[in-house]
Amino acid sequence: MDTQKTEQITFRVRRYDPEKGSNPHFQEFTVPSSRGLTVLDGLIYIKENLDSTIAFRTSCRMAICGSCGMLINNYPHLACHTQIEEFHSNRLTIKPLPNFPIIKDLVVDLIPFFEIHKSVKPYMLRNDSNEMENPTAEFGQSHQTLESFLQFTYCIKCGICVSACPTSASDKLFHGPQALAQCYRYCADNRDAGELERFPVVGTDHGVWHCHLAGACSESCPKGVDPALAIQLLKRRVMSRTLGLGKKEPPASTVRPSAQAKPKLPFPEFTVKQG
Amino acid sequence: MRRYTYLWLMQLVTGVLIAVLLGIHMVMQHLEDILRFFGVNLNDPASWNSMIERSRQVIWAGIYIALLAVVLYHALNGLRNVILELTPSARTERVVTWAILAFGIIIFVWASYVPIALLSR
Amino acid sequence: MRQIRPRPNYLGAGGWVWAGNYKLERYLYILHRVTGLGILLFLLVHLIVTTFFRIQGQAVWETAMRFLSNPLFKTGEYLVAVAFSFHALNGLRLILQELGFLMAKPIPPIYPYSDSLRKKRSWTMAIIGIIIVLCLMFFYDFIVGGW
Repeated sequence: MDTQKTEQITFRVRRYDPEKGSNPHFQEFTVPSSRGLTVLDGLIYIKENLDSTIAFRTSCRMAICGSCGMLINNYPHLACHTQIEEFHSNRLTIKPLPNFPIIKDLVVDLIPFFEIHKSVKPYMLRNDSNEMENPTAEFGQSHQTLESFLQFTYCIKCGICVSACPTSASDKLFHGPQALAQCYRYCADNRDAGELERFPVVGTDHGVWHCHLAGACSESCPKGVDPALAIQLLKRRVMSRTLGLGKKEPPASTVRPSAQAKPKLPFPEFTVKQG
Repeated sequence: MRRYTYLWLMQLVTGVLIAVLLGIHMVMQHLEDILRFFGVNLNDPASWNSMIERSRQVIWAGIYIALLAVVLYHALNGLRNVILELTPSARTERVVTWAILAFGIIIFVWASYVPIALLSR
Repeated sequence: MRQIRPRPNYLGAGGWVWAGNYKLERYLYILHRVTGLGILLFLLVHLIVTTFFRIQGQAVWETAMRFLSNPLFKTGEYLVAVAFSFHALNGLRLILQELGFLMAKPIPPIYPYSDSLRKKRSWTMAIIGIIIVLCLMFFYDFIVGGW
């Protein structure tokens, strides 16, 4: 596809309007597209020029807010992050994310998703509330410890992993890869002391033990967060706490800043090699 | 939480035990030609005489009953997980768990009767 | 504001089998389930044969063995042997990976992203290779042992 040449792409969008009471059906639109245009650009073109009743979520258009997750040619993508050219076809089928209830057209209901995320307590839990409310110094954390959970902090809560998970497809009470990965992110953070509060929530049948390592969540994650790895490490952690194995480290304590002004350090070298 | 963790841990442990015990059983029953190639002659384990000889030895009865116990636990716990993924209501879960537990105990008692009875014949 | 009831959109058990163009491990998971349930069904029949028929004496046993040496049943037995070797070896891989031993280390994501299952895919392929070797060994024995 040349930058100058435009091709006519057929967008086959699944429409559903609860106020009209109709069943979901497909509607086709023809969108002129050239190199560099994303699926989101195509949908905005449809909304501005062809049919203004089409409903979809969008915000940042740069793959950082997590609003525009949808099923494009039967695979979940972020619409702003997906070029039309990468499908090498002039026919795209766009459906809302599965495993979430549909509100209208491509907009799905994410409130149950966020409720489950809240139930794993995704915030620092510590015993010293004085330090938390009136902080006097930084908490000490080496960059090895940071690296052991940094990858899982990049989650943008888009819900694509939950729609890829086969267990989420059938088990309505399953927490989903996103909540379990975030639970691990907080348990692995050495500043946090709330493991014992989170484990009874996730260490249940419909929690971490219904994950059977299908790996579709990590494969489809648009930010490379790898929730499957987080869940398996969480299983290892729950198992060793239940059996009483492994050393239990106390949460990080405060580190007084040194008296002389420290020079600004460059970003540290990663201890795990890339590639 | 502890209960569910132990259930999963037992699934792993019984899985490894089955890989060993059932491996022996499969190799004995189905790979005898290849074993003969290596010089181990088993004399047709499915024939009546060889079976009667085995059923008189306590060690074989013990192995078969152990195999039955671990296979029943692993298979029925797996079945319970599959069913629980499809039916999320709490009441159905309890019914399914007790039904599978009862089924497992009945089958274990029934099927371990025969090796023990044949020990003395 | 009028309340709208969102329409349920779960894939259900069909979502186990197919939900999009995913890669290998998602299908190994459903195959693990199918072989497990298949072996359970075989087990129930096998228990009936080795208890009822064995305790009734030699004549009943040998009649049953002759009935079961039909090629159809032999093929079924071979499929059970294949299912067992797949389930056992894939299960060993799952034990190692679910406890975090055969998985990659967490690494800050730099594009193009590669998840830890993809990095360890060579181990998965090696285990599938061992499964195929076992299936061939069982096949040889079924052929030589006679239908």
